[in-house]
Amino acid sequence: MLALLFILFAGLAIGCGLAVVAQRNPLYSAISLIGVFISLACLYVMLAAPFIAAVQVIVYAGAIMVLVVFVIMLLNVEQEERGRARLKFLVPTAVALSAVLIAEVAFILVTVQEFRVNPSSAPSNVGLTHSIGAQLFTRYLLPFEITSILLLMAIVGAMTLARRGGLLSPNARIVPGAQVLPLSMVDPNAEPDDLRPVAANTSEEAARTLGITKRD
Amino acid sequence: MDTAIDIVLKLVAITVAFTVVLLIVAYTVLAERRVLGLIQGRLGPNRVGYGGILQPFADLLKFILKEDIVPDKSTRFIYFLAPVIATMAALMTMIVYPFGPEIAIPFTNITIPLTIARFDIGLLYVLGITSIGVYGIMLAGWSSNNKYSLMGGLRSSAQMISYELALGMSLIGVIMMAGTLDLGQVVENQSGWHGTHWYILFQPLGFVIYLIAAIAETNRVPFDLPEAETELVAGFHTEYSAMKFALFFLAEYINMFTVSMLATTLFFGGWNVPFLDLIFTRGTFIFGLVSALGFVFKICVFLFIYIWLRGTLPRFRFDQLMNFGWKILLPLALLNIFITATLIFFFPNL
Repeated sequence: MLALLFILFAGLAIGCGLAVVAQRNPLYSAISLIGVFISLACLYVMLAAPFIAAVQVIVYAGAIMVLVVFVIMLLNVEQEERGRARLKFLVPTAVALSAVLIAEVAFILVTVQEFRVNPSSAPSNVGLTHSIGAQLFTRYLLPFEITSILLLMAIVGAMTLARRGGLLSPNARIVPGAQVLPLSMVDPNAEPDDLRPVAANTSEEAARTLGITKRD
Repeated sequence: MDTAIDIVLKLVAITVAFTVVLLIVAYTVLAERRVLGLIQGRLGPNRVGYGGILQPFADLLKFILKEDIVPDKSTRFIYFLAPVIATMAALMTMIVYPFGPEIAIPFTNITIPLTIARFDIGLLYVLGITSIGVYGIMLAGWSSNNKYSLMGGLRSSAQMISYELALGMSLIGVIMMAGTLDLGQVVENQSGWHGTHWYILFQPLGFVIYLIAAIAETNRVPFDLPEAETELVAGFHTEYSAMKFALFFLAEYINMFTVSMLATTLFFGGWNVPFLDLIFTRGTFIFGLVSALGFVFKICVFLFIYIWLRGTLPRFRFDQLMNFGWKILLPLALLNIFITATLIFFFPNL
């Protein structure tokens, strides 16, 4: 029964993984990647690690991939054209690297076959939420906190990049979904292709929001 | 052999639970139309069967028989996939909720739990599957090749990402008090004080945040911007017709049902009916039956609140929605976590 489920989900993961690379449409690739993540989560459940599985679905499939799909939809990325291959040296590199990967997998398979450990019959509670929490907040507290600080830095970095000083006046507000006006429509001195999102319904209102006084 | 029997039993349980839930959902639609009629001073559908009791089946028949129009330039595969994802994700969360305590079947000595599957990460499972449900709406908006659909899909995903945070954070207070993510255990913990030890008494702020965020998650009034008909025709399902539209419709109502179930399970004692253990012995069939009915009753109260809100509130503007989610709900949820942690530290036996 377990073997059957393993074959099912492993096959799904590999199939979706191939589709990620093979698809021309970026949205199809993204959906395939979601499929990979969910199949992996199912495999984690079978390996008695339900917490990791849930986190995998929530964080990767539910949050990160939503952002990826969101960006693809926003930018309206077109289907990739099969153009002239420019970086030709990548093909032999890829073949060599995949050969190394296959060799590694084969090595592990052989070693595992040689040193077979009898699985203990007692149910393991390593993958349960309680034991993971206890370990995270005692033994691995420092790495855990450092990771949070790393994430905080990323957030602060993104914020600084998004609102770099001087680009927008302090009373300007960016509203998601609001229209994007070329700045040249409100500011005669601006570059013609300067696109800046402004929450406004008319160009006059946008000029006011940006603090630009219109010169005639 | 035992596994085979187990699987068959689970399949039976799933079928029964889904049938019951889908029936309740079908009648929620009818109830919504009748209650809205009441609020707006009209009658609502009352012609099919006694007082409109057969209306859901008439609607279903209509949806099946209608012509199914697929837009010419849509992305076929994803267009078909989207309603399936939405409905599947909505239905899949159903399996972890405890519908009632363990009950003994009369005249036998078999006891069965009224839960389809019980595992360590029940709550995280619910949150994970809910976050998958966003794709149904996003992909529907994108694949229809219609600007109203796309805008609706984008709005909806932005809204759901934002409010998912507040929703998850508002639940942490309860999790800290319960000390587990297993929904069955959370309900067991609330059966103290003769079934009135509900977490709403200790987590009022968390509950309010949860209720608001849950309404936003299900795209209901006053947060129904993804399908704001005055701006976006019908939002992400503009191009959907017949049964595919019905699937989105169904998904929305199942989602309402499941968030009501989660609210009941976490804040209102799940199947605990106050002072029931003084009348019946725990573990008997009648105790289980009354408890399960109590659970359904509490859910129906939440469903009524949903309908009530729809009949009374106007819609948010999009920037108000974002400001409210990020600047008010999320900080309040964090404050709730902080307060709960402090209280647990000083009164560990609460």
